[in-house]
Amino acid sequence: MPRSSAKTTASGKPGGGRKRKTPPQAGEPQLAVETLARAGERLGMSGDDISRILGVVDSVAEEAQATESVVDKYKADESALIQVLLEIQRRNRWLSGADLATVCERLGVPFGRAYRIATFYKAFSLTPRGRHSVSVCMGTACHVRGAPRLLDRVVEAIGVKPGETTDDQKFTLETVNCLGCCALGPVIVVDEEYHSNPSSKELDSIKRACD
Amino acid sequence: MARLKSPADLEQFRQGLRSGRDPKKPCVTICSGTGCHALGSDKVSEAFVREISRNGLKGKVDVRRTGCHGFCERGPLVVIFPQETCYLGVKPSDVSEIVSETLSANRLVDRLLYKDGDGTKVQLEDEIPFYKHQKRIVFGNNTLIDPKSIEDYIALGGYSALSKALFEMSPDQVLETVKDANLRGRGGGGFLAGTKWETTRDAPGDIRYVIVNADEGDPGAFMDRSLLEGNPHSVIEGLIIGAYAIGSHQGFVYVRQEYPLAVSNLQIALEQARKHGLLGKDILGSGFDFDVVIHRGAGAFVSGESSALMSAIEGVVGEPRPKYIRTAVSGVWERPSNLNNVETWANVPLIIDKGSDWFKNIGTEGSKGTKIFSLVGKVNNTGLVEVPMGMTLREIIYTIGGGIRNGKKFKAVQTGGPSGGCLPESLLDLPVDFDALTKAGSMMGSGGMIVMDEDTCMVDVARYFTEFLADESCGKCVPCRAGIEQMVKILNRICEGEGKTGDIELLEEISEVVRAASLCALGQTAPNPVLSTIKYFRDEYAAHIDEKRCPAGVCKALVSYYIDADKCTACGICRRECPVEAISGEKNVVHIIDQDKCIKCNTCYEVCPTRFSAVRKISGEPVPASPPPGTQVARAKGKQE
Amino acid sequence: MKTVRLKIDGKDVEAKEGMTVLEAAREAGIEIPTLCYHEKLAPYGACRLCTVEITKNNRSRLVTSCVYNVEDGLVVKTNTPEVQKIRKMLLELMLASAPILSDFAKEYGVDAPRFTADVTQCILCGLCVRYCAEVKGANAITFVGRGVDRRIAFVDEVVSTGVCMDCRQCFGVCPTGKIPRETDGASFEGITVRDVLAQSK
Repeated sequence: MPRSSAKTTASGKPGGGRKRKTPPQAGEPQLAVETLARAGERLGMSGDDISRILGVVDSVAEEAQATESVVDKYKADESALIQVLLEIQRRNRWLSGADLATVCERLGVPFGRAYRIATFYKAFSLTPRGRHSVSVCMGTACHVRGAPRLLDRVVEAIGVKPGETTDDQKFTLETVNCLGCCALGPVIVVDEEYHSNPSSKELDSIKRACD
Repeated sequence: MARLKSPADLEQFRQGLRSGRDPKKPCVTICSGTGCHALGSDKVSEAFVREISRNGLKGKVDVRRTGCHGFCERGPLVVIFPQETCYLGVKPSDVSEIVSETLSANRLVDRLLYKDGDGTKVQLEDEIPFYKHQKRIVFGNNTLIDPKSIEDYIALGGYSALSKALFEMSPDQVLETVKDANLRGRGGGGFLAGTKWETTRDAPGDIRYVIVNADEGDPGAFMDRSLLEGNPHSVIEGLIIGAYAIGSHQGFVYVRQEYPLAVSNLQIALEQARKHGLLGKDILGSGFDFDVVIHRGAGAFVSGESSALMSAIEGVVGEPRPKYIRTAVSGVWERPSNLNNVETWANVPLIIDKGSDWFKNIGTEGSKGTKIFSLVGKVNNTGLVEVPMGMTLREIIYTIGGGIRNGKKFKAVQTGGPSGGCLPESLLDLPVDFDALTKAGSMMGSGGMIVMDEDTCMVDVARYFTEFLADESCGKCVPCRAGIEQMVKILNRICEGEGKTGDIELLEEISEVVRAASLCALGQTAPNPVLSTIKYFRDEYAAHIDEKRCPAGVCKALVSYYIDADKCTACGICRRECPVEAISGEKNVVHIIDQDKCIKCNTCYEVCPTRFSAVRKISGEPVPASPPPGTQVARAKGKQE
Repeated sequence: MKTVRLKIDGKDVEAKEGMTVLEAAREAGIEIPTLCYHEKLAPYGACRLCTVEITKNNRSRLVTSCVYNVEDGLVVKTNTPEVQKIRKMLLELMLASAPILSDFAKEYGVDAPRFTADVTQCILCGLCVRYCAEVKGANAITFVGRGVDRRIAFVDEVVSTGVCMDCRQCFGVCPTGKIPRETDGASFEGITVRDVLAQSK
């Protein structure tokens, strides 16, 4: 969801003119934790609910710090926009609105450019991808050896179409062009394991082996 | 390790490495490219380390994980030096025998050797027919070096070409040598590299760039991947030499992110080169500065197009530019930029080292040197092959490739990826040469060579490539975006049995405009797969459209499966394997496929034992009536009578 | 500024170095159709309607005149049979997703369109995106997606600041009127990045 508090300047870039040059200070997450705990108490939330929220705050703060580190690594150079987004995508399995806002602010690029890049390239996802990636090779050699039929079997086994993620966020199915192991064709890769022409039964056992 | 500050330093280092390496010392090399990795070569390497230690040979036998050897069909590949004994399809369970027999006792493990058609065993890698007819001047070193070791590369002679260029030749002389060699781009365009270098060098401006295009988007092509994974220094050395000739101090390598091993091996190689003073400031003490930045792609075929690639390097979306100014004059940030393919750069150190005359002696009049192809598809020996330009397609597919798998009949060979075309049997004696292939309606392309047999539907192939291009089109210009979309719709209709008279002509009409009016080469060459298949396989299109028949039995909507009552023995395998339980039958009763439930997945056809061959696949004719349910199989009938 | 002399449709034309063939033609009163061209914006080369035939050194080829710079001795033909065929097909293709252009397309010979596609009433000329970026500097509109899934979309983070409501200059440059129709002058619902991406699933 877009951060409704994200301010933009007249140029469509975030920050309302203020560029953030330093990562969040050490004390900041702590302050947020105390404030949230108090607010939760006042609202009459259960201790469990408050703990859950605080847990999320911790991991979110960590994620934000990680995003800032990636930007720092590329010296906030705007020509590294695609490289920065690739690292964040790899780490988080998606590009959240918050991460996009941070990147745009630090690199000084308009939101529109980030969205354009994020939706142009297959590597990026604006919604969380599954814990397990299933890729079916649709390269020419695999195609000629029956990849479309294998894809049908995989779709049947997992229950989503290419480009989609299962509701339980367990699997994301994608098609890729040539993994370069044509001798195994037609081939699928589940996480980093290669499988040559698995039958429906073999696909079921591969699926069950993923937690 | 001290920086190398002069050619003498480099030579001394090299001699030191060589004297420390006994050429007679046994060394086990295991192919660790992505293909063999997928087949488990990591575990094979681990097994070797373990077994060598267990047999008391630690320190007496080296183990080296190398880049791709090329014979991907028969991986994991192991080559044992100094004999160069080659074992194929090695499993971890084979390793202890190899160690105790071959390494300890000098005996061969017969079952792991290559066997000829007549049973003759071949021990040496170079004698194996797959390798024997190749000319592996660029790719051959993959077998000998660990890509993570700059020492391996230097011991073999690496960076001597760079040293020669920097200290014995002027930038002009380097450029003239490459021009004289007639090196043509290996990425698909076939443009003369020397001419491009010259344009970049002479363009106005103070800053120039050199770029390696390692986007390798053609599906079915993985040559560049294997070169970058297996011998990254060969590409880096070529790039530095080119930079020196052109007057560039900044280089980029644009690698697709789908190649993580290539990215990491390249990063390691660049770091090592910097540490040794072969990259960065004052290379080898020559006063020449040059360094390289890696830029990863993010999953778009079109970003491999030169102007699109340069936009991506600038951090904007990688779409081609509409301008008519060459990128050699105005490229990244409007500065002169020379872009060449991975394989093109890898040829440069060889040309400088051995001279342009040596290079011109290989190949044909118009196409000098060698070309690496990924020979894949319905061929027996799938893998990467490097041959001199001018070798015929027939020789590559039959002599090196071992002919068509499973005894099937050759139908077509596709070259040039989605920009190329399909060539039929009548053109098998065409030489691989830039101009010859283009004249025939295909093109060299980056090197993908996909072999197709009688079970391949050429209309389906045209649809496959056109759909690929529709998916990868950036969508900016109307002819490519909308034109290819309409071509896909027509092809889908044809494959689904709804082809109309006039469809072929309509495809040709749209193709003309897509070719003439598209902004970039993706669109301009997009009609090639359709046009080349219409040219050579028009009868297949006609069958689909007029008879609703798919001669190859591929297009699902046009095929039906049924079980021949006279051949069925009720073995039950098809019934068990059918994913939608569409087959009924029991012991001794002829099995029947329910046509309404059948999803045409082809499973029953594949699993019916060959000796029965009872499952039949037909197209363009109605399914014969099923026998009455409960009909006894022929064998059972025979018994009763 | 150096003067360049070329011939367009048989007419001798003088132009300034650095001008494009399209600019030179228009100045000389010669009509070349365009859909994605705007004098205030860098030429984009998306619609391809301005394709013309040029002849140089006895070699002829087709180029888009909006990005081709004038050259001494260039011979330009703006309306050859091949060019006409191309323009007709281009418009026929555009009509499939933007049927609102049918009158314009008829002028180029398209009376029986043969193609169907998702109707978006958008030809992706990019005028809105480019105008907002280059003239207004607000970057409120962007392209999302690729190929046939390419769409224009308003950037939520910019729209929510209210800057678009006061501006509305993109309404005037849109050749199909899609933007004023779909935003209704008041709401950007359905045409923002998040909305467009949700629709394409």
